[in-house]
Amino acid sequence: MADKDKKKKESIFDLSKYIDKHIRVKFQGGREASGVLKGFDPLLNLVLDGTIEYMRDPDDQYKLTEDTRQLGLVVCRGTSVVLICPHDGMEAIPNPFIQQQDG
Amino acid sequence: MAATAATNPSQLLPLELVDKCIGSRIHIVMKNDKEIVGTLLGFDDFVNMVLEDVTEFEITPEGRRITKLDQILLNGNNITMLIPGGEGPEV
Repeated sequence: MADKDKKKKESIFDLSKYIDKHIRVKFQGGREASGVLKGFDPLLNLVLDGTIEYMRDPDDQYKLTEDTRQLGLVVCRGTSVVLICPHDGMEAIPNPFIQQQDG
Repeated sequence: MAATAATNPSQLLPLELVDKCIGSRIHIVMKNDKEIVGTLLGFDDFVNMVLEDVTEFEITPEGRRITKLDQILLNGNNITMLIPGGEGPEV
């Protein structure tokens, strides 16, 4: 019981190492955005600067370059965030799951 | 707050930025293809928002949807992004 009382809201990650870095954020609903992380809170609300938003269309699949918007300084709702990763260090690769037809 | 997050005092807290925006125009992007532009009157812990002089945009059908006046209460459940000073999509 004492354990439960002592348990404060500790994050399992530390976003402060991403401050002033360019990150990519994905949201529920399929939106994606990237920008420089300027601030955050324990609920994962984010402040991004110089934000570019990418949207997925039905015929778009994963083509990101089609619909992009410059949004500037934005606040991202933590309740909507599903993924955060560095903007660099991510690249598109050929589909590794495609098999031969005999398979 | 806990020392684990935001130990850097020069960091910008998200809800502080929204708070600074009270009284000015704000552009809200929802999880779906809807966007709302209005004057921010206030918000609560759940980021439900009270807005005034509101214009509602539907992005996919390419057009402005409804212009509402007076005040609205926007449910924070579906809010994805908040853009202070934003004027909304061009169309």
